[in-house]
Amino acid sequence: MSTRWYPLFQPGNPQLRVFLPNFWMKLIRPYAEDDPRPIFPNRVHFIVSMEMTRHDVKNYLKKIYNVDTIAVRTEIRMGKTKEVGKERMVTKEDDYKIAYVTLPEGQDFTFPDIYPKDKVDSKVEDEKKQMENMKTGLKRVKDVTKMKPDLPGWFT
Amino acid sequence: MIRKVVCSALKIPIFHQPKQWLRTTCIRLDLMEFFDDKKNWGEQQIRVGRSWKVDELRLKSNPDLHKLWFVLLKERNMLFTMEHDGKLGHFLFPNPERIDKVEESMSNIETVVRERNRAYYLLETGETGERPGAEIENFLGLQEYVQHKEYAVPEKENKEYLEEKEAEPKSSHEEKTWFLRRWRVKQRKFARAELRRKQFEVIHILRNFPDCDKEVLKEKYPEVNVDRYITRLKSRNYENLIGLSIHQLRCLTRKI
Repeated sequence: MSTRWYPLFQPGNPQLRVFLPNFWMKLIRPYAEDDPRPIFPNRVHFIVSMEMTRHDVKNYLKKIYNVDTIAVRTEIRMGKTKEVGKERMVTKEDDYKIAYVTLPEGQDFTFPDIYPKDKVDSKVEDEKKQMENMKTGLKRVKDVTKMKPDLPGWFT
Repeated sequence: MIRKVVCSALKIPIFHQPKQWLRTTCIRLDLMEFFDDKKNWGEQQIRVGRSWKVDELRLKSNPDLHKLWFVLLKERNMLFTMEHDGKLGHFLFPNPERIDKVEESMSNIETVVRERNRAYYLLETGETGERPGAEIENFLGLQEYVQHKEYAVPEKENKEYLEEKEAEPKSSHEEKTWFLRRWRVKQRKFARAELRRKQFEVIHILRNFPDCDKEVLKEKYPEVNVDRYITRLKSRNYENLIGLSIHQLRCLTRKI
């Protein structure tokens, strides 16, 4: 349950107990919006740390999040190779492991809208307005101190 | 009895009254625990506290550290989820330093637990319960710390291990001494350059800030003979040059 060194397994050994599990899991959207593949309502997709097995994923969800799972399948995907910059330097993204988790029948899960567009846009608008106000303030200060550059700020 | 319980990784601890009318376990939201509080969806800035320091964690009991570990683990998973989705949709993931704070806290917990584990094992068994290793001379002649690996089969019967050992680079005693001689020359050169750099720093400080605290300077640069440079810079003043012989003046004009 961790990325640390495990002692050798010999059949008949007592159960290995890991007290501070190291593994991480990210919940991801199953497929993009325009993807024709069907999205099953009781299927959840995770990106998990590379050292995890199916049993690890199942136990992790059960013990830490109290989520029952029927089946787990894992897949390792290779990271994309990219050409970056003017010199087209070849770089490669990290490989990652996806876990396809099936929940019991009736337990549906849809990925929520974590970044609601209208809220994000309004926040961005607020920040832009703030910038505009700061610019006008600075312009006013500059106009006053154009002829007198050493003038202290009290007079602006 | 008032009990301090930390319900969330980086927030301020909440003081609780007797446990009859208050539950101390976190609300079970199942898969929604992978996401942040709904109020924080779409925010540009989320304010959180700082990471846990080692000294603070040393005060905590082992069950408390265990609980805190899982709180941090869930927080980290949540932050990873939010970051990933933000990258996909090209949205701003607010305060990415939260991940660094969580990871720092987790590594601090590990150091504290490891300290306690080592102490316990050393008291009870005389050995640290950690992975054994040894300092071994490698093919260059340098000492290398090698961590031991566990095998199901003794060394002489382990074909793969023996083949790997055969394939490792080996060198004779003469080759090692040849290398080590040159290696030590290089190390001494670097050490000399390092000392020279520190000496120049001291000189510059004394020149630009002649009223500085000399004792503090000596503490900061223990390898440098600070007194020597104090006397040399002092002797460069005009007043101190009156009454000196030509030989003495010539000694002073050399570069410090």
